[in-house]
Amino acid sequence: MERWQLCANCARRVWCWNGADVNLAVDTPWWLAGLLLTVLPLFNSGIQPSTYPWLQILPIDPLSQTISVVLRVCAMATMAALVLGLAGLHQTEQTRERIAYGANIVLLLDRSNSMDNTFAGKTPDGANESKATAARRLLSDFVEQRPHDLLGIAEYSTAPLFVLPLTDNKAAIHAAINATATPALAYTHVSKGLSMALDLFKDQPLSGSRIVLLVSDGAAAIDPDSELQLRLAFKRQNIRLYWLFLRTANSPGIFDKPQDPRDDNAGAMPERYLHLFFSSLNIPYQAYQAESPDAMQQAIADINRLERAPLHYRERIPKRDLSGDCYLWATGLLAMLLAVKFFEVKR
Amino acid sequence: MFSNYLKNHRFWLLSLACIAMLVAFIRPTQNQPRPIYNVTFIIDITRSMNAADYQLDGQTVSRLEYVKHSLRGLLAKLPCQSKVGLGLFTERRSTLLFEPIEVCQGFNEIDTALAQVDWRMAWAADSRIAIGLLNTLQMLEKLDTHVIFITDGQEAPPVNPRYRSDFAAVKGKAKGMIIGAGGLQAVSIPKFNNKGEPDGFYRPDDVPHRSTFGESDLNPEKIQGYNARNAPFGNDSSLGSEHLTALQESYLQALSAEAGLRYQRLTDAEALAMALQIPEFAGQKLAAVDVRWQMALAALGLVVLVYMRITRKETNN
Repeated sequence: MERWQLCANCARRVWCWNGADVNLAVDTPWWLAGLLLTVLPLFNSGIQPSTYPWLQILPIDPLSQTISVVLRVCAMATMAALVLGLAGLHQTEQTRERIAYGANIVLLLDRSNSMDNTFAGKTPDGANESKATAARRLLSDFVEQRPHDLLGIAEYSTAPLFVLPLTDNKAAIHAAINATATPALAYTHVSKGLSMALDLFKDQPLSGSRIVLLVSDGAAAIDPDSELQLRLAFKRQNIRLYWLFLRTANSPGIFDKPQDPRDDNAGAMPERYLHLFFSSLNIPYQAYQAESPDAMQQAIADINRLERAPLHYRERIPKRDLSGDCYLWATGLLAMLLAVKFFEVKR
Repeated sequence: MFSNYLKNHRFWLLSLACIAMLVAFIRPTQNQPRPIYNVTFIIDITRSMNAADYQLDGQTVSRLEYVKHSLRGLLAKLPCQSKVGLGLFTERRSTLLFEPIEVCQGFNEIDTALAQVDWRMAWAADSRIAIGLLNTLQMLEKLDTHVIFITDGQEAPPVNPRYRSDFAAVKGKAKGMIIGAGGLQAVSIPKFNNKGEPDGFYRPDDVPHRSTFGESDLNPEKIQGYNARNAPFGNDSSLGSEHLTALQESYLQALSAEAGLRYQRLTDAEALAMALQIPEFAGQKLAAVDVRWQMALAALGLVVLVYMRITRKETNN
């Protein structure tokens, strides 16, 4: 269907022509009213008339008539080109399908208070950075290394925070990662965070692998209601899960078994139980327990290496301004009309 | 022979048009000051923002819904190269979701993030506006962005006037605006159960109606049942109207004066965009502006003159 219409997919309202291949649009449609001026050369040849005593004496000359028509068409084209240039003719942003190595990744970041402490569980000083700072630095590098990924960000503390949808806008991702430099919030409510992370994939077409990268320094027991929902959602959404557990010194690890069997419950050992829960999901799952920024870097490099499956993605071709071409054409035609003026003979 | 051309007005017009177009190619852009904004929206997501006292398309909507709607409208109006950040306020501080992002490149991302803002994102209850505002201004001081703090000004629980936030540290340094959301008529605040489903409204005995923090500001002799240690505020179980909410405009105006911010009431995106158009907010940045249109317009005018019927000339010849 080819017609002028309001672009639905454009952020700003412009009128566009949805053709088969090219989508043309103009910035300021009301300039197009200037196209009416192009009828002027139909009534006026633009050539100085010469007076003849008797017109009938002149024979009909097909060549002259052709030249006259050509000149009028050139004049019309000149005006049209100028008007289109003024209206800001451009080719709208388009996408083309590409295949590259990448993935859809949702970063689920823990914003609980303890993330602002070092791996030793202390207030950061000059020599040791906080877990949040280390995470921010390493995740920024990770994002840089993966040009073809679509990334989304969700955060959680007591409540889940939606930050950014899946996007290829790296500047936005960096802005969101940098924003975690602001002080962390309250507690760790991981099940709500997981639900939100899974929600980010909801309207996404199933192409390439879908990854949730959970970066946290603690865990919490998952209540039975959300447990069931999460199980279903993980399965349905076909998720691959990575858990980067930033272990604070002297805190229980995710692989530790308690010495006292009475402590073997989700309340006392939430990290171990969250790991058991993830393992029982029957989805591709990998847990990394990092006890220092170096170990964390190792884990991120590992994920970077593992997640290199081919991904169909749509590459954006930015909008292309055609007004320059319009002006170039107009100038060429003007030069021609001017040149023709030199051949005009005046008696 | 050449004098023929010089007498021909069309020749002159076409020559000028050609020259105009050449100028357009030689100097396509010009540095002109253009307004560029850098703002960070901090949205109050406390419970009182769920009170429904705005109208949108004939439907009553909550303050938060209306704030989101207006901000999304405003987003589409900001000129390219402007930047918008987003944060949320609850309890006594704010969190920043993302630092300012360029609006044209990141339109979809910012728009989606705004649409997803929900009161359920609140990590704690309470609504200490003054403390939160101070905290936000200090947090964003380094970012060089204008803070747009959007709230209804409902402090919950009420503040003890004895312990007011001191904005001296940020006054003059902080740049920004408080946007007051809500109606001036008090309305009830919707209540939700622990599954997030609507569960009626807050009743008078659900909320504290006065501050019981610290020492009282009043003369102890005037307080009924006063006891310095056990009942510094007296034993009178006073009932107020704190379960209802209205835009506390005078309070917010006082706060903005203390913090050196501007104040504006939220009506619609149009008014919001107008409110931002003050020199203090619109940083004038020199941007290369396309000025080819000036020359192209001149050329078009000249070409049109060539093909206009100028009867006087033609009858003369």
